[in-house]
Amino acid sequence: MCAIIAINFALPRLMPGDPVMNLIGEDAMVTPAQLAEIRAKIGLDRPVTVQFVSCLGDLLCGDLGYSFHLHGPVAGILWSRMSWTLLFAGTAIVLGALIGIIAGALSGWKPETRRSRAVTCAAMAVSCTPPYFLAMLFLAFFAFRLGLFPAKGYYDVLTAGSVVHHLLLPVAVLTLFAASRNLLVMRGSVVQEKNSHYALYARAKGLFGRQILFRHLLRNASLPVITLVALDFGFIFSGALFIEIVFSLNGMGTLIYDAILARDYPLLQGAFLVIALLVVTANIIADLLYGALDPRVREGGV
Amino acid sequence: MRAMDALKSTNRGAMALLAVFLCMAAFPSLIAPYGPSERSMPYQAPGPEHILGTTNMGNDILSELIYGARISLLVGFASALLATGIGLAVGLTAGYFRGALDEVLMAFTDVVLIIPKIPLIIILAAFLRPGVGILILVLGALSWESIARVVRSKTLQVRETGFVMSARCMGFPPLRIMASDIVPNIIHVVLPKFMLATAAAMISEASLSFLGLGDPSMESWGAMVSSAFTKGGFIREMWWWYLPPGICITLCVLSVAAIGFAFEEGEGTTVRVE
Repeated sequence: MCAIIAINFALPRLMPGDPVMNLIGEDAMVTPAQLAEIRAKIGLDRPVTVQFVSCLGDLLCGDLGYSFHLHGPVAGILWSRMSWTLLFAGTAIVLGALIGIIAGALSGWKPETRRSRAVTCAAMAVSCTPPYFLAMLFLAFFAFRLGLFPAKGYYDVLTAGSVVHHLLLPVAVLTLFAASRNLLVMRGSVVQEKNSHYALYARAKGLFGRQILFRHLLRNASLPVITLVALDFGFIFSGALFIEIVFSLNGMGTLIYDAILARDYPLLQGAFLVIALLVVTANIIADLLYGALDPRVREGGV
Repeated sequence: MRAMDALKSTNRGAMALLAVFLCMAAFPSLIAPYGPSERSMPYQAPGPEHILGTTNMGNDILSELIYGARISLLVGFASALLATGIGLAVGLTAGYFRGALDEVLMAFTDVVLIIPKIPLIIILAAFLRPGVGILILVLGALSWESIARVVRSKTLQVRETGFVMSARCMGFPPLRIMASDIVPNIIHVVLPKFMLATAAAMISEASLSFLGLGDPSMESWGAMVSSAFTKGGFIREMWWWYLPPGICITLCVLSVAAIGFAFEEGEGTTVRVE
């Protein structure tokens, strides 16, 4: 976390050219006098160490700086956009983990059958596709050709039904994407675990195939997937950003896209900081969950 | 046995696919029907003169597709090479010397592992102004951590073997031992990681150029999808514009990743046989 803050602090100061010019952007006209005034206001005329301390202080108060393009504090803009993205990405991550674990467990249980081979190949293909391209395919097929789903936005009128109808397609794309990655790991994990002694013992006890899988193997085999889900959180989240751009959803993704086009650096940095914070939180949650699932970790024996 | 045959045949298919893409990257001017700067009527549908139609600028899409292979493969392999280099260096040092150095390096690796890559790359690329060199540097510098971890754990095993012990007794310097005794024995775990890193870098490159953060002077596949998306090709359902580059990205990444997976699984079986 400290590293991330440091990167965020260092980047604009390492940039070629005048940081104030970068902050304001190229489309604004300023006189040298105004420039000096802004520089004094932001505190760029002070020594670097003082700047760093005041930067940290601002962060602790939840102040992420000021976006000169959207004329508002970065924290406020981000906060209003983020809730939608979190809703959309969160649903997909949870669904993707569940589908990935179950489908991966089934295809790892009998890896030679034609169906599980087909599922594995499909998962590999999906995980090798850039998320935005997958989203475009879905959009072109389901929304343009079949007209089943609306092509853009979160809702027409703010009712639960309308939101679900609008979000179904993007969530489906992202879920597919997350599930395919989890599936591959889960499959490998089950293939390994099913040769272990306790699986053999469960069979000797008289349990049938699927019972062994779901009662005994699933819990152990899903441990690596939980780590993956946490580490992948940032990756899936960035996938969500691209999918938002394709579906014209008014969330973080479109915000970042516009910020790139407008070269709105404070906003970009704020967005990065928030995403990094989310990822770190996700990893902490995963560690706790790991402890709950695996008593060996809980007792600190490993 | 049947599984092994299937593995071999998919591997061969992936190799062939990759070879096609490599040819496209190596000799674009021989294959492409038009040069990269030749213009004709914009927004043409596929026809006998332009097999895949033309873009909003009047460029032939098939030719653009063929020229685009170069940048994708170049960025993919070059940044994976860089990542593998850093990963090898960090992993070897940490695994061979152990102790405090190991702890520091691995803590650093964990930090890199947790940083969300694509948002950071977006910021860096936005700040640093796009360019192929920058892209390779950034992608390479951010994707070495899994390689470093694998190399470290493998090095920890290899350094306890007899031949490394005897080399140390004979007084060879650490660098020499690493280069001539350890690296040859861990290269087989690095190779699949290298292929997977290449695949990941190619996807990242495609994503970045979709955001308009790629090299503006070269039309990569991601940039083609992007321009089809932003300049009206997608809304008008000009599938011949956005579908081929997207499929090319997928197939190219898939072929590289499949070769990587095949290495990994082949590795798994030999270990079991031993």
